[in-house]
Amino acid sequence: MIRLENIATEHFHALSFEIKRGSECKIITRSEYENRKLLNVIVGLERPASGRVFLLDKETYALSEKDSCRLFSRIGVVLKDGGLISNLKVWENIVLPVSYHTGKKPEDLEAKVKQRFNEAGIDVPYLKELIGRLPGPLPVHEKRLIGLIRAMLMEPELMIYDSLFEGLSPDMSDRLMQMTMNFHAEKQGRTSVYITFDEQSIKNVRADIILRI
Amino acid sequence: MTIINIRKIGENIINAFKYLEGYYTLLCYSVRNIPLLRSAPIRSVLHKQLYFTGIEALSKVAAIGILIGIVIITQIVNLVGSNAVLTGKILIWTVVRELGPLLAAIIIIARSGTAISSELGSMKVNRETDSLRIMGINPVDYLIVPRVAGITVSVFILAFYFQVMAIAGGLAFTSIFLDLSFSQHLKGIFSALKLFEVLVSLLKSLVFGLLISIVSCYQGFSVEASITEIPQAATRAVMQSLFLVFIFDGIITVISFV
Repeated sequence: MIRLENIATEHFHALSFEIKRGSECKIITRSEYENRKLLNVIVGLERPASGRVFLLDKETYALSEKDSCRLFSRIGVVLKDGGLISNLKVWENIVLPVSYHTGKKPEDLEAKVKQRFNEAGIDVPYLKELIGRLPGPLPVHEKRLIGLIRAMLMEPELMIYDSLFEGLSPDMSDRLMQMTMNFHAEKQGRTSVYITFDEQSIKNVRADIILRI
Repeated sequence: MTIINIRKIGENIINAFKYLEGYYTLLCYSVRNIPLLRSAPIRSVLHKQLYFTGIEALSKVAAIGILIGIVIITQIVNLVGSNAVLTGKILIWTVVRELGPLLAAIIIIARSGTAISSELGSMKVNRETDSLRIMGINPVDYLIVPRVAGITVSVFILAFYFQVMAIAGGLAFTSIFLDLSFSQHLKGIFSALKLFEVLVSLLKSLVFGLLISIVSCYQGFSVEASITEIPQAATRAVMQSLFLVFIFDGIITVISFV
């Protein structure tokens, strides 16, 4: 599902590992900076000096732009800051990848979005207010939640969570953790990868593999 | 010590060619990928661009158009008196052939060129383009193609609108304040107006729209990681758009009317 072969960058030397399909994995880095660098290498944003990265059995850095877009439409990545587009309202952010890749109408996604927010403990009146806002001034836990729900709507085979629980209140952290673990169990063969430098924040996450890098 | 720094001039020339190559590549990509506008999220970006660049500028373009029309017709009347045919001819020459497309382009450069390059630049700095990429969305397809289409269509329509407002403003002013016959002036304008002149004016607007959109988007996307690059990119977008608009205006005018 994810395979790194002899990755060499400024920060990593001959880094190799493999995460099998269907597993839940924690990757713990030594610093926040390394965390970001590793994530960038995995998701195709920073080409390593040498080595190969495979996602869903495709060599990421060998793909054409078109094939790369197709590959990433099958992968969900939840960034630490939510990764939201600042000039789109929350609702437009949530439905963007689904309507872009599948052509689904936003109104067909309403029920699913409501259900996901409900799982996170957000009620309908507040949700109605939230979806019409621009993401800039929102607190970080809401940005992450929106990013999480946006990724979940694509029903990806592989989910990568970047420091998802870092700095959250215990209550919010538990709710998001429950959501990610339930989401993993929803589809057979789905792979979940939690990347963080703060081991404490993912201590309650169930995992088959723990990689320390 | 030499006053003329040859090395610096050489670097500037090389940079200019690099920019031109980048603009050409982006233009070809955008034109080739116009069918992407069929996708609903990309169409939504196009609609927003048409609204911000086109519809929101209507009142400003109308006001400037009317004022320019009044200024030009006052000067013409001062120069040639109440000769309706000559007045119409000079008005068409100045407004339709030159000032219409040129001033509409300058208004759009000042209003939207800076806004687009700054917006795209801050999206790059905030890693929103990376975010699009990891959602499997090509940032150029999603952010640039609809902007190029939106700005080009806006400049095309606004330039025509500017010309109509300038001529209407000039005519209204002469008939109200200068006591010249409205119908005679209108007749003079229509006798001077030729389809070829209108087509050249529309061609200029189209070319200016493409130039402004490509330069603004390219400069916005050239921002890498630092917030201080954003105002620099906006300045480059404005100056290079202006420069290219004047160059192409000269080229089209010379080819069409000499």
